[in-house]
Amino acid sequence: MATRNHSPGGPMFTVDYINKRDNDVGYVYYPEAEKPTTMTSLGSSTSSGTEYTVRVPKNTSKKYNIMAFNSGDKVNCSAWTQARMERDMSARRIYGEEESQDGAAGSEFGKKQREEARRKKYGIVTREFKVEDQPWILKVNGKAGKRFKGQKKGGVTENASYYIFTQCPDGAFEAFPVHGWYNFTPLAKHRTLTAEEAEEEWGRRNKVVNHFSIMLQRRFREQERGPDDEDEGEKSGKKKKKGGGRGGDLRIHDLEEDLEMSSDDSDSSMGDDGESKAKAKKDKGKGKGKKKKKKGGEHEALEDSDDGDYEGLEVDYMSDESSSDEEPEKGQPSKAEEHPKGIDEASESEEESEEEKPNEEETKEEEEEEEGKKTPVQAEKKKKKDSSGESESSDDSDIEGETASALFMKKRTPPKRGGGRGSAGSSRTGSRPGTPSIDSAATSNTLRAAASKLEQGKRPTPGPGTDSPAAKRLKMEPSSQSPAPSGKSTPQPPSGKSTPSSSDVQLTEEAVRRYLIRKPMTTKDLLKKFQTKRTGLSSEQTVNVLAQILKRLNPERKNVNDKMHFYLTE
Amino acid sequence: MSVKTEVDLSGVKKSNGVWLVKVPKYLSQQWDKAKERGEVGKITIGKKHGKTEVRFCLNEELTALGDVGEKDASLKVPRDHPFTMHAVGGQTMAAFSQSDTDGISLEGMVVHRAECRPVVNDNYMKLQFEESEESTKPQRVSQQLERAVTTIFKPVANHDFNLEHDKKKKSEGKMVRAERQVVLDMLFSAFEKHQYYNIKDLVDITKQPVTYLKDIMREIGTYNSKGTHKSTWELKAEYRHYQSAEEEEEMQTA
Repeated sequence: MATRNHSPGGPMFTVDYINKRDNDVGYVYYPEAEKPTTMTSLGSSTSSGTEYTVRVPKNTSKKYNIMAFNSGDKVNCSAWTQARMERDMSARRIYGEEESQDGAAGSEFGKKQREEARRKKYGIVTREFKVEDQPWILKVNGKAGKRFKGQKKGGVTENASYYIFTQCPDGAFEAFPVHGWYNFTPLAKHRTLTAEEAEEEWGRRNKVVNHFSIMLQRRFREQERGPDDEDEGEKSGKKKKKGGGRGGDLRIHDLEEDLEMSSDDSDSSMGDDGESKAKAKKDKGKGKGKKKKKKGGEHEALEDSDDGDYEGLEVDYMSDESSSDEEPEKGQPSKAEEHPKGIDEASESEEESEEEKPNEEETKEEEEEEEGKKTPVQAEKKKKKDSSGESESSDDSDIEGETASALFMKKRTPPKRGGGRGSAGSSRTGSRPGTPSIDSAATSNTLRAAASKLEQGKRPTPGPGTDSPAAKRLKMEPSSQSPAPSGKSTPQPPSGKSTPSSSDVQLTEEAVRRYLIRKPMTTKDLLKKFQTKRTGLSSEQTVNVLAQILKRLNPERKNVNDKMHFYLTE
Repeated sequence: MSVKTEVDLSGVKKSNGVWLVKVPKYLSQQWDKAKERGEVGKITIGKKHGKTEVRFCLNEELTALGDVGEKDASLKVPRDHPFTMHAVGGQTMAAFSQSDTDGISLEGMVVHRAECRPVVNDNYMKLQFEESEESTKPQRVSQQLERAVTTIFKPVANHDFNLEHDKKKKSEGKMVRAERQVVLDMLFSAFEKHQYYNIKDLVDITKQPVTYLKDIMREIGTYNSKGTHKSTWELKAEYRHYQSAEEEEEMQTA
């Protein structure tokens, strides 16, 4: 319908034009577009609409899925030249706990059934590894192209079904149900930090100025570990040469007053980094005076916490290997720290250095010899002494341990603890009258405080040669003195750690010798003689100790009634 | 990793556009009932008031809720479904298909999203009401029994089981000691299969009395009282010769 449009003041037109206003249902005719584009441009149809039949094909072997990308990733599928897709099976080893194969060594009869029965009993339901639910890995345009990971979105088919409508050449629509929905996200090709490394770097963020070096370091570290594993080993090598930054083994240390940056620190793995050192130094200079301390290689996973550095000074348990490493380091800060404290410095430092040496020797010896219960306690206390570096801690540490161990160091054929005690006791009792006025012990009740005080007092007097025996005696003194005032008659100090001293039968070489001289005995008989209840040793220890004694005695053997008897002739 | 499948990109190359349509459950159920040819209805695309309108009309025969063919006088699925069209905004979506024979192929890009909505009328509301009622019904129902159950008594011992057991015992008889060598052969062949055995299992296998069997085992094997293979017997080192999983030989000594 045409309307007259009067534009005021203008020429009058009679224009027939197609009315496009909404309330009119006009006959609009657009040229019929080609069928396939009906889907994209929906406006191309007649007014009442074109009809298309919808078919839902029944017998397709194809399963349709949706591949969804985030629009921010700007993925243009038509620009792909080549694409490869496969399932990401990396979760299989987590799920499938495949035990050792059947029929191999180490397998048990009926193990599977038993395992199954056990699972049922406890109601353990393990989720199966379903291949269908695994994510896809999509690689576009070959090796250099992008990579995507498609994770299955759950819950898509629960309440409503999705269908894909495609238009067929004949104009009809075909609807295919969607079986799964996968959200594809691009995978980063550049290197990233792992969670632990990221946390580390986060802790250092205030100190690190050169953030670019973080990744370089990581690459460098990786190169150290396994250059053949890394495909980018070459790259990292080059980068390293360019400007290696800090090596992987530089750590930030917070004891700023103690440590100084030494230029010879960085002489380890970073070979050609004259310039990198300079660069690093520049960086350090720029920074807030962050200090670094090189630790030789990566032998231990050491924490970089700022607070914890002081804690290492008094450590209860330290393994043997680490003690040798940590000692110089810890010795340094501890020594540095002691200066401000300045309590009996001279005597104590002497003491420590002396004690450290015998202690270390003793440690080794003790570990060779079977000491039984005492050893772990002694070892622990000794190491505590090593690393504590403060003789104040001798309040806590056991002088007992040291005394006994000093004893053992001297006597290479120690009659073990109990025996050691016996002989020590005897020596003590013998030497007791010989000791002059040691009355400072009386001032403190505790055995150990007394011991330390006495040691301090007596330290300078004994000469180097007689040091050990005298020291030994002295050390025995305090231990014996304080019980004396307390009215104990037994020379044995009430340590409570070791065996009950009232046993008649001690597993000593003497005892064994006596038995073997008297009559030939089998090992079983000997063991019966040294019953665990009476000697206080465990059966294993008894066995070990007895074996050593027998080795030393080297008795003669005789076979009586098919059993091996030992005997000695004097 | 599984075999990499080359993705057939012909779909996107041709710029096939597809629609992603969300269809309510009842409708998809009806569609499943369609005949072989698969025709389920008709789509009309028109322009109404300037806006494009798409509606779907379900075929008459598929409107019955029951099985096809029944002319159920009860509720029928609505026929008219206008589609609500959206543009694909935030997501780039493509449809890919996976088939057992042809591998993976990219069918096309999604150009429109649609939701199939029924025309809301009384019929539909009734339908939904019924549906929701059904879903709220509990799956397990307690029933009242008219008569008490008398077949199951509290047994002191399970009579049936006991009888069966006794019969079995009688029929098999006591386990007789076989020749030592015979037993040894049996044991060695058993240990070829697995390394660790429980004494009970060995008794089962060899059908020998326990004491006799233990005696023999003490000669050729050791008992693990600790460790992972707890309370199991295994052969002594000189008797066993386990290699890899495939090969297993044993050295027998007389």
